[in-house]
Amino acid sequence: MSAVTYLEAIGQAIREEMQRDEAVFLLGEDVGTYGGAFKVSAGLLEEFGSERVIDTPMAEDAIIGSAVGAALMGMRPIAEMQFIDFITCGFDQIINMANKMYWRTGMPVPMVIRGPSGGGVKGGPFHSASPEAWFFHAPGIKVVVPSTTYDAKGLLKAAIRDNNPVLYLEHKLLYRLPELREELPTEDYVVPIGKAITRREGEDMTVLTYGAMVHQCLKAAQTLEQEDDLQVEIIDLRSLAPLDKESILESVKHTNKVLIVHEDTLTGGIGAELAAILAEDLFEYLDGPITRVAAPDAPFPYAPPLEAAYLPSMEKILAAARKLAAY
Amino acid sequence: MPTSIKMPRLGESVAEGTIGSWLKNEGDWVERDESLAEIITDKINAELPSPVAGRLAKILVKVDETVPVGADIALIEENADVSASPPAEPVPGPDVAPIENPDRANVMVRENMSVSDGNSSKASTRASSVHVEERQRISPLARRLAREHDIDLNSIAGTGIGGRVRKEDILAYVEQRQVPVGPQFTAPVVGMTRTGKTIFTPAPVGSQFVAPPSTPSTTFEEDGIAVVTPSRMRLAIAEHMVRSKRTSPHATTVVEVDMTNIAKWLEKNKEDFKKREGYSISYVPFVMKAVCEGIRKFPYMNSSWTEDNKIIVKKHINLGMAVATDVGLVVPTLYDTDQYTLAGLAKQISTIAQRTRANKLTIQDMQGSTFVVNNPGTFGTILSVPIINQPHAGILSMDAVVKRPVVIEDDAIAVRYMMYLSLSFDHRILDGAGAGGFLQTVRTKLQSYSREIDVY
Repeated sequence: MSAVTYLEAIGQAIREEMQRDEAVFLLGEDVGTYGGAFKVSAGLLEEFGSERVIDTPMAEDAIIGSAVGAALMGMRPIAEMQFIDFITCGFDQIINMANKMYWRTGMPVPMVIRGPSGGGVKGGPFHSASPEAWFFHAPGIKVVVPSTTYDAKGLLKAAIRDNNPVLYLEHKLLYRLPELREELPTEDYVVPIGKAITRREGEDMTVLTYGAMVHQCLKAAQTLEQEDDLQVEIIDLRSLAPLDKESILESVKHTNKVLIVHEDTLTGGIGAELAAILAEDLFEYLDGPITRVAAPDAPFPYAPPLEAAYLPSMEKILAAARKLAAY
Repeated sequence: MPTSIKMPRLGESVAEGTIGSWLKNEGDWVERDESLAEIITDKINAELPSPVAGRLAKILVKVDETVPVGADIALIEENADVSASPPAEPVPGPDVAPIENPDRANVMVRENMSVSDGNSSKASTRASSVHVEERQRISPLARRLAREHDIDLNSIAGTGIGGRVRKEDILAYVEQRQVPVGPQFTAPVVGMTRTGKTIFTPAPVGSQFVAPPSTPSTTFEEDGIAVVTPSRMRLAIAEHMVRSKRTSPHATTVVEVDMTNIAKWLEKNKEDFKKREGYSISYVPFVMKAVCEGIRKFPYMNSSWTEDNKIIVKKHINLGMAVATDVGLVVPTLYDTDQYTLAGLAKQISTIAQRTRANKLTIQDMQGSTFVVNNPGTFGTILSVPIINQPHAGILSMDAVVKRPVVIEDDAIAVRYMMYLSLSFDHRILDGAGAGGFLQTVRTKLQSYSREIDVY
């Protein structure tokens, strides 16, 4: 079995789950005939037919609304957003329907909403979103963000098998990155939701991050080791809701300094909540200020130099880490 | 009339003090007993509580300046009723222009009043906490670690940005503290207890009994000689020792005490006592108790010879207890020692030892002693000749309790727990008869205990 890309791993997960369980089906814009805007679902229409791989109109509220209805009827829909930016069109169906249904009726809503998120591909203001914080804030839906090929497959399988709505945010920058190619286990596996993973061990500070920023931070950690003799621990959160508080607290208790890096904008972001948790639970373990590196509070820019300036770069991460280390 | 605040006497032998820092600024309101400044002396560092409530009108001695005990260091304007008589002028900040508009002036006065009025304690707490922040930058973790390791943060230099004390500073300090510190050690750590070990040693005697602090890690020159600048504490001890020897004609006399019953009782009950009470009991409370009895019978042992040739006899018996620390010797005071039971004394000793360890000795702890008991016996010494802690009349050294073959009644030879008690006394005040009588009383008391002792 050959090494696959992050994108292929997502396709594998969908295919294997559809083979395993007839209740699982895919719906979204261009997912069938075209095979998906990024070709995630290439070949699925041929294998499973148009009743299980459904091309929909350009109407995210209808896609999500239909998925909620199907889930209530016992199906396990996977609703694809062609770009995750447009999930806002289905916001009401998520917040008021999917998230609350179980509490209103006692009926579970086992559905997955997934789609390409994140920037770094010159996608401009409507094709670069990181929408996790909106949903992270809303009770009733789980939010997962895979950063590796292995996790992309395992987390999606876990999401499909979960009895709650799960927002699965794949990062489009990682889709075909050669260095993320990985040989996956031939047997069935899942990556449990709610478990973070330590990508790198270190004593000098903990970096909390997720998604594409995990790779940025790993590179920064290497530089910090070589140039500053700093050992940086990197925690890939993987699951934002629920958060793996235990792993986070354990690591920060050990290193006493914490840097939070995310691609989403700063204010009210995941980092804000992490900072609050750390300040509340570990105040007397902190040897420096909880520090965040995130995008500025501005819409995602289109011009490539602006995009580069907007995203958390290596330079920003290194500067923040060095300042924190010296604090 | 402003009240002048004077440099306090932080210990008997301390003649001068240095302002470590001002905890209040000129113009700040100070509550009575609120800390005003940090004073550094050869013996201890202490915060100086304000004797009165009022506004700190003037700081007369700057930080790091050293002045003699009794010198004026600040002026406080007492306003008995602040709200009734508002401060004459609003405290000007450095850049405040003269107030032209009377309305604005009123507002400022009112603000000023509300601070010192009603909520004063709250306001001053805030003010002082702001000061602490300014005085030292420190991470929350470092603060906690310092507390856990009983470290005085003021003695640590931070290596973080802006001198912030952070984790590695505390850990480095703790590590260094495990290593014996040589005499190259200098001033700023005055009064620190570095090992946390508390040992009774001959109070003013100084060097020969101070916990052998250290193999000096001094670098020797080619001629095999190292020149060491003593710490301020070492210098103070040296000065005091010479002065004491010059002042009092010392005479020393020794008795041998049979401690068998106390030793047996301790062997049997020590652990239970500790478990029950949470603090240990040793020979020391027994000796202190006996000394009190001796002093009651020979009050001149609790006196001082003055410069104008008078003898001041003191009614209160406040025993000084010599505590060795790695940087030198301190002699905190157990007030009204004679008022305690044996268990009560054990508790007092343990409390004061803990305070010494935590570098939390107060001015109160460092003054008022009338006689010193010390215990070089913990180092296994069997005979000591202590030097008097001025201006006392005497000092008692208890040496090691050791088993010796002793001739007892009926000329039988038995193994007994024996201890020498050495008394150095000021021969101006007492003669051999008085000193011997005192020691006799102490010995009789110590030998009067049976195997069953009620320590409560």
